[in-house]
Amino acid sequence: MARIFVIDDDEQLLRMVGLMLERGGHNITLINNPLEGLEQIKADKPDLLVLDVMMPNMSGHDLTREIRGDANIEDLPILVLTARSQEVDRTTALKSGADDYLSKPVTSQELMERVDNLLAKKGGQSSPETGIIITTFGMRGGVGQTTLAVNLAAALRRASQQEVCLVDLSPSGGQAVMHMRLQARSSWLDLPAEKELDWAVLKNRLIIHPSGLRVLAAPAKPQDPSSISGERVQYILNLLKHHVAFTVVDAPHVYTPAFLQAVTMADMGLHVITPEVVSVQTAVQLNRLLNKAGIQVKRKSHILNQHTPEAQLPQAAVERGLNNKVAFQISYDVNQARAIAQGVPLTLTSAKSGLPNVVRRMAEAIWQRVSTKSL
Amino acid sequence: MSTSFNKRNLINLDLFTDAYRVTGRASVGMGGIHAELGNPNSKYLELQDAYISRIHTPGDIVANYQIAAFRKDNINFIVLQDRREGIPVGTQHGRSIFTRGRSIPIFLTVPSFEIVGEAMHEGKFSAREILVQSMGSFQLIFAAKASASVYPDISYSGDLILVHKDRIGIFCLDNNKQ
Repeated sequence: MARIFVIDDDEQLLRMVGLMLERGGHNITLINNPLEGLEQIKADKPDLLVLDVMMPNMSGHDLTREIRGDANIEDLPILVLTARSQEVDRTTALKSGADDYLSKPVTSQELMERVDNLLAKKGGQSSPETGIIITTFGMRGGVGQTTLAVNLAAALRRASQQEVCLVDLSPSGGQAVMHMRLQARSSWLDLPAEKELDWAVLKNRLIIHPSGLRVLAAPAKPQDPSSISGERVQYILNLLKHHVAFTVVDAPHVYTPAFLQAVTMADMGLHVITPEVVSVQTAVQLNRLLNKAGIQVKRKSHILNQHTPEAQLPQAAVERGLNNKVAFQISYDVNQARAIAQGVPLTLTSAKSGLPNVVRRMAEAIWQRVSTKSL
Repeated sequence: MSTSFNKRNLINLDLFTDAYRVTGRASVGMGGIHAELGNPNSKYLELQDAYISRIHTPGDIVANYQIAAFRKDNINFIVLQDRREGIPVGTQHGRSIFTRGRSIPIFLTVPSFEIVGEAMHEGKFSAREILVQSMGSFQLIFAAKASASVYPDISYSGDLILVHKDRIGIFCLDNNKQ
């Protein structure tokens, strides 16, 4: 979460831009007077400034020059956002010292992309050379696997400010989009043949959440599990791996070539289970099956998600059954049902309950390891 | 459902006189800015939140005022980023010159600027018709670019440029190109 100042004399636009940035998970300060804005910048030193050009008393260009001339705040990234949309206006903005330029009207997606790029540059953070694939999987449905995938993707996006894509491989009707109240314009089922499917085409089919998270949706209607092949999954994940910092895959609950591809290609596998006998037994069977097939899931962790108020088994019993340690335990979160109904992932809210706390910690740990190249 | 015919919107535009660029907002009705400019009952146009630059330093703002007023006769041209703000709402869909006409490449000059773009027309298109016979004081040029004559690096692009016919110096068209 970055601290962003927005300076614009137009109160309506100021509120609108503020809302867009807030939905992207940032901490926003709205200022409608450039002179007051300059004083506040000197006092508070924000992470980024979004600045209008046409303002009474002081233009955005003059304010930019003032900032660049002050040794204490000269490094502040500045994004100019103006109704003056000519090439000459862009040149003037950049010459006066702005880092980037956008003309109004602006879409939430454009604004978030530019803001994220500037923040990433400021932090000196570079994307991993090839992306990281994290696959959530498990053979038992209804254990909160999609909830984990959605929240982890959203938290990774927020923690890293990098490109993150959530891939919903479920053949039984798109669930991930419902968690985020998104409309699935297209899904993996509608993607063109591989010879016509490059990054530009795929990118265009990804749905963008206001947080900047990209989503490759599952078809809205249930499909035959064989409707997506292992080769297809491999092709899509390879494309994403080369263009997106993190890909979070919500693997199907059926043992198909698509499932196997999703777990094989994962740089990190998160096996989701619940503290109940059937879930643990299913997990044990799946682990055996994968071992027998010679499939090693890289950096595999068991995530114990208590999705009901009462746990049938204590964690120690689950670990005995699995013959493995549980890496993360998510306690029952009363807010989760409401979050799904409202279509807002809990990690994007201010909730500090069980699920968002654990998932945010996971995302921050992953990002920390990736940014220090220890993953 | 009722339709309001007197609904007005504020649109952003760049307006050019001989030596100045003025960026501001104009209040327009359903007929867009073209209808405001063509209103025979008023020779007056007003911009709100006007920011003024000199043509040779068009990015620098030399003055700003809440209101800038113009005699329409002294406007050389107006640049819009969206043609829908320039033409009447009713002509943007269905059967109209803007949806069914052919586009004709044109080149023209006004004081300090050269403008290239496309005019939309049905049937035979002639310079005489544009310059002296057609109704209205402003000609619509689509997908247009205005370049400053003495500062060729400075140019302004717009989805629609409205050019004052009385200010046109040279007017060239090519009826064969489409």
